[in-house]
Amino acid sequence: MNAPDRYERFVVPEGTKKVSYERDTKIINAASFTIEREDHTVGNILRMQLHRDPNVLFAGYKLPHPLQYKIIVRIHTASQSSPMQAYNQAINDLDKELDHLKTVFEEEVLKHSRDY
Amino acid sequence: MSSSDMSDLDAHLEEAKKRIMNMPEVPMGQLPPHLQRQRTRVFCGSDAPTNTESIQYSGAYASMGVDNSLRLDQFIKNFKVEVIQIKHDVKPNYEYFMEFDMIGIDAALANAFRRILISEVPTMAIEKVLIANNTSVVQDEVLAHRLGLIPISIDPRLFEYMSENDTPNEKNTIVFKLHVRCTHGRLTVRSDELMWLPNGSGFAMETDTYSDKKSNPKTYTSFSCSQDSLPEFCDNPISLTHSDIIIAKLAAKQEIELEAHAVKGIGKTHAKWSPVATAWYRMLPEVELLQEIEDQLAEELVKKCPVKVFDIEDIANGKKRATVARPRACTLCRECIRGEDWENRVALRRVKDHFIFTIESTGALPPDVLFTEAVKILEDKCERILSELS
Repeated sequence: MNAPDRYERFVVPEGTKKVSYERDTKIINAASFTIEREDHTVGNILRMQLHRDPNVLFAGYKLPHPLQYKIIVRIHTASQSSPMQAYNQAINDLDKELDHLKTVFEEEVLKHSRDY
Repeated sequence: MSSSDMSDLDAHLEEAKKRIMNMPEVPMGQLPPHLQRQRTRVFCGSDAPTNTESIQYSGAYASMGVDNSLRLDQFIKNFKVEVIQIKHDVKPNYEYFMEFDMIGIDAALANAFRRILISEVPTMAIEKVLIANNTSVVQDEVLAHRLGLIPISIDPRLFEYMSENDTPNEKNTIVFKLHVRCTHGRLTVRSDELMWLPNGSGFAMETDTYSDKKSNPKTYTSFSCSQDSLPEFCDNPISLTHSDIIIAKLAAKQEIELEAHAVKGIGKTHAKWSPVATAWYRMLPEVELLQEIEDQLAEELVKKCPVKVFDIEDIANGKKRATVARPRACTLCRECIRGEDWENRVALRRVKDHFIFTIESTGALPPDVLFTEAVKILEDKCERILSELS
C-alpha cells in the first residue's frame, strides 16, 4: 500500500536539517523556523514561551499538513531583539523550567514515599 | 438649549464625577479583581464555559500598566507539585497509578507531558511473531496482534532500539516461546504460558543443505551471551505484567507453537508501545457559594449534587447552612446551577494554572518514573531544536 512508513513520523531524513531558519523579506525582525519531525508537543509550548517574552510582538506555529511531519514557528519581535534571539531565549528558559519542574517533582515523590 | 436643561446636565456631570471619585482605587501594577479573576479562572455557566483561553501575551494588560510577561525566576518561585497518591499494587488488583497536582504551569506544558507520556516514552512490546504451528481458530495475524498488546514488565532503558539493518541480539530483543496443545476438552491459553528464552530464538533458520547442521544451527537471533547471565536480569527474570490475559482458546487436538520477539519502540509507531493505559489532567474545580444557603435550599443543594460536593452544617437556633466540603470531587456537571435562580447562588469555576494530573501505568515502569522520563524527553527535544539550528 502507499501508507508512509511509521518511523517517518520521528526520524529526520538524511540530507534535511532538523531546524531551518528563514527571514521574512518584507518585514524586519520577522522570521519563520521550520522544525522537522516535531508536532504540537513542541510547537505549543514554544509558542507559549515566546508569548511571555515582552520583546515578542507575534509568535505562532502551524502544522501545515498532518502527513508533513514538520511545524513552522513564526516570530516577529521588537527592534531591540531578533527572532533568533527570542527563539534561543525561549528554549533556554523552557529547558531551565523543565529542569526545575523535574527536581521539584522528584523531591515531592520522595517526600510522599517517605510519608506513606 | 434651555437653562433648565443646562443645569440638569451640570447636575448629572457632578453626580458622575462624584461616582468616579468614590470608586476604589486600583494600585498600579495590579489588575482589578474582576480582570484578575478572568485571567486565572474558567467560568462555568449553565449554558457554556467562558474565559477559557489562557492569556499569555506579555502585553495583554499593557494599557493598565500591568506586565503580563513571565520570567524564569517568577516561574520557579510559583511552581509547586503535590503528590496526592501513588499506587504500586501488583497483585491482585494490578493498580499502577499516580495522581499529583502541578500548580503554576500553563495548559500547553501540561498537554505536552500528556502527549509525550502517551506516545513518546519507550517500552518493550512483541513486534515479531514466528508461528511454527497454529491449528487454533484464532488466525495467525490476529494472534500476533493480541500478543503485541500484552504488556511486558521490563525497564526499557536496559535495551536499545533495533533499527532496520540490525540483527536481533541480547541488547535489543527479548524472545518468548509459546507452545500449548490441548489434549482433551477445552483449554484457555493465558499469558503465563509465554516462556522467556534468555538464550534467544530456538528456531533454526532454513539454510543450505551443505552447511553443517549438527554444530549450532543458525537461529533467528544472534545472542552473544545468555540474557540471564547479564547483571540486570539474573536477579529479576523478565516476565509479563499480567499472568491471566487470555490469548486464545483451544479445542481438543488444537495446538499453537510460536516464538515472539519483543523490541523497543514508542507509542507513535504503534499504541502497543505506549507505557500508559492512559494519562490525563483536569483543572482544579472551584465551587463558591455566592450567598448564604439555608434550611430547605441547603438540603435541596446537597441533594442536587451527584458527587456530594456540598455538606450541611448546623448553625445557631436550629438553622442549617450549606457548605462546600469537597470541591475537588466536582465534575462540573452543572447540576447544582440548573433551575431557577441557582446560578446566582452557586458559582462554578476552574483554576487555570492548577492541574490534577493522573498517570495509569501498564507496568513497565512505575508512574513517577514515567513522568520524569517524559520531562527528560521534552528537555532533549528542546536541546535538539536549539543545537541543530545553525
